[in-house]
Amino acid sequence: MEHIVFGIGITALAGALATVAGSAEDTESNIGSQGDPNSQVQLAPQMGFLHRIFNKAVAGEPPAYGLWCCLGAGLAWAFMAMQINPVLAIVLGAVLATFVQGVYATTAYVGRTASLAKFGQPVFVDILKSMTTVTMAHAFIAIFCTVTLCHLINTALGHPFPLPLLGLIWGIALGAAGSATGNPYYGKERQYQNQKFGAGVPISASGNIVRYAEAGERNSIDNGWFTAKIGGSASGICFGMIVFLELWRTVVFEAINPWYAIIVGVLMILIFTVIDRYIEVWGRKTYGPYTAPKEAEA
Amino acid sequence: MSAVAAKPAAGSAMNPGAMAVGIILTLILVGICYVMSPGVGLMALIGVIIGGILIGFGTHFVPVGGAPAAMGQAPGIATGVAMLATGAGVAGLFGGAWAAETLPATMDPMMQLIIVVCAGAVGGGLMMAITCMMVNFLYVFGMGIPPASGKVANDPITGDSQAEYKSQGTEGHGLPFVSFVGGVIGGTLGGAGGTLIYFELLVLYENALPGLMNVTAAQVMPIAVSAAGMFAVGLFLVNAVLTAYNITGTIEGPHDPKFKRWPRSIVASAVASALCGLVAVLIVMPLPI
Amino acid sequence: MSVKVEVIEGGVPHNTILIAGVVSTLVCIYLTYLNVVTQTEMFSFFGGLAVVAALVWGSHTIKVLCSYGIGTGVPSAGMIAFGSGVIAMLYATRFGMLAPVVALILAAIIGLVLGWVSNNILNMKIPAMVQALTEMAVVGALTLMGFAALITGTFGFEGLTTGTVTMFGMTLLTHQNSFIGGCLIAVAFLLGAIAIQHPFNACLGPGWTQDRMLMLTAECAFLSMIVAAIMSFALISAGSAIISLVIAIIGWVYTYKEYMALSKRDAHSWLDSKPIPDVEGQ
Repeated sequence: MEHIVFGIGITALAGALATVAGSAEDTESNIGSQGDPNSQVQLAPQMGFLHRIFNKAVAGEPPAYGLWCCLGAGLAWAFMAMQINPVLAIVLGAVLATFVQGVYATTAYVGRTASLAKFGQPVFVDILKSMTTVTMAHAFIAIFCTVTLCHLINTALGHPFPLPLLGLIWGIALGAAGSATGNPYYGKERQYQNQKFGAGVPISASGNIVRYAEAGERNSIDNGWFTAKIGGSASGICFGMIVFLELWRTVVFEAINPWYAIIVGVLMILIFTVIDRYIEVWGRKTYGPYTAPKEAEA
Repeated sequence: MSAVAAKPAAGSAMNPGAMAVGIILTLILVGICYVMSPGVGLMALIGVIIGGILIGFGTHFVPVGGAPAAMGQAPGIATGVAMLATGAGVAGLFGGAWAAETLPATMDPMMQLIIVVCAGAVGGGLMMAITCMMVNFLYVFGMGIPPASGKVANDPITGDSQAEYKSQGTEGHGLPFVSFVGGVIGGTLGGAGGTLIYFELLVLYENALPGLMNVTAAQVMPIAVSAAGMFAVGLFLVNAVLTAYNITGTIEGPHDPKFKRWPRSIVASAVASALCGLVAVLIVMPLPI
Repeated sequence: MSVKVEVIEGGVPHNTILIAGVVSTLVCIYLTYLNVVTQTEMFSFFGGLAVVAALVWGSHTIKVLCSYGIGTGVPSAGMIAFGSGVIAMLYATRFGMLAPVVALILAAIIGLVLGWVSNNILNMKIPAMVQALTEMAVVGALTLMGFAALITGTFGFEGLTTGTVTMFGMTLLTHQNSFIGGCLIAVAFLLGAIAIQHPFNACLGPGWTQDRMLMLTAECAFLSMIVAAIMSFALISAGSAIISLVIAIIGWVYTYKEYMALSKRDAHSWLDSKPIPDVEGQ
């Protein structure tokens, strides 16, 4: 019994860490325009819309976060193998992984922008300095939380995988959850604030991203500020739920009977299916069909 | 995902000759395994092939819209298909590997296999259910956009009409119910496939590595777990990327016309898994030289 | 139907890079065998240099492949390269002295089959597919072997699965603290998979230039070597790890500076704290 109570405590902590990690991950990738919305930042200068948006396309979010978290975990593992205290080892591992992330971010921005020379897009050195540091700060939070939760899963809950493999698994899952949930909010809602609310961006409007702010020119920290409010929190809840429910059903029910854990998992899938259907029907009823054809404005 | 990657290259035509060659190649590889290592090795290889096919088939269900989905221009989840399937699959692998660790060793091996694979399947399905639910949550409550499919007039499961919920100038947006169900099925199959590969290789390595390395079974556990886990991830990526090539990067779910291409992908996954699986099995066999 | 998006203009032809890549990677991996000959771990850094050579070749292969629209992102190409490479590499480690050559041949076979499968069964019909996937599987396998040699000082199965742990002054043999047992191979896998695709992903566009992309690859490879060298402190002697680390840092600083200079050369303009420039017609 104490074992299960201890396990639930660790599960709750891991879920909380995952929520913070998901939130930081989405904000980081939105400041860097990583993932799919990046295609628009890349496209804009080709359509004649020069901008001051940071564009660090290292890879899609899942492989990129797979690397940062796996690297943080691997370095932490190596430091622990050198008899360094786990807390210090995880912090050092996350710091070094963040360094790698920062270097990749600078080379990605400079490389992509230099390849757009034909369209007159300049490289803004001040963007490079100010945005990279902000993304590094968010990446550190995401990496540190993910590596810590992997360490908890490994040592306190007794998962058989070694720390670096857990880092790979939860890093890829973090990127997948964060990009799936957070990308549309940045891509549709923030980049295309000039388009109609409550409708998808017409394909003809592609590339016409918002480049000016309330005062002056929009930069990517404004984007992080905007998306952190809904996109970031939703990504955090998404990844937090994945980690928490996955651990919870195993910790509580696996010891009683392995089938119970599976049945509880199936029940949770059914519950989420019902919630999803409710959301869909609510959206269709409340917003109604798009009867009058809308003008596509470019 | 990237600016270059927008051109669909693969046609939808089947190539029966090549598929027949693929099936024969798979059988030859299984035959080689039978000669080199009948028994446990062959069992493991068959498990790996089935797992690979499950991954390849499951990835077809995962609704992924790629870059246009991030602008609400196309339905589906806004990320890459291979990596999203991998995210769900490795989350399932995590659950399955954990179940494999906690089961009593005295249990019937077949029963162990069933429980572990079910645990992996539920883990992958749960990950996709939460992710798909949050995607719709954000579309409806964050951006005020109802989900709509661009490929069919009515949702095949609920019968809801789609065309008038599609905003002007787009191909649809969000995840209609059929895509949600597809996502959950895809995650389930992917999680089951990844876990099956892991568990079959784990059992093989646990049995064969101690003799090969002259150490006890307990000492060899970390090696067996890590090697099996790494191979499961590697095979998952190979199969998921091959499937992504098959559907040219985006698919709406089981109702998408591209879904009909699945037989190609199954043969491709079988060949790739048979070859990679054979090598993974041979690692623990005595060297031929 | 596949249309070639952009042709390779000028620069070093791909076949030259291919041959130079194979030869220098194999030579560098074999130079780590000096560790066995001289009974030290000082020559582990050659593994890192093998990684640099293999990745430079591999990133150019990715450029050749992804110039055709393959329908999915550039990163997936790196993932399939390493997914097939890791299997060939682990099997090859069993062959002792012959390991790098076996890894090359086995990975080539796997890549060849995967390329054939993509082109014929999946009907992609991309002319460069078979050769590119073959090359990338080889790059994946050899890069992982290079990382293994860099981190553990050896590329044999025995060396990759055993490590030592010092407890209360006693040195014990363990399998937990090893390259495979601790799953550092997962870190090597992702370090390589991102480093191989990042240069083309970051440099794609109308202004792509070959020297800039290959310099970025070298930069990514040296950066990966830095962190791999730090991890190697856990598995090889501190002196040898410091040699690797110093070489990696020198290589990284040099290539990073060169890459920035090349980007400055290729960029339209290099502005600091300036507004968006006016474009004609706006």
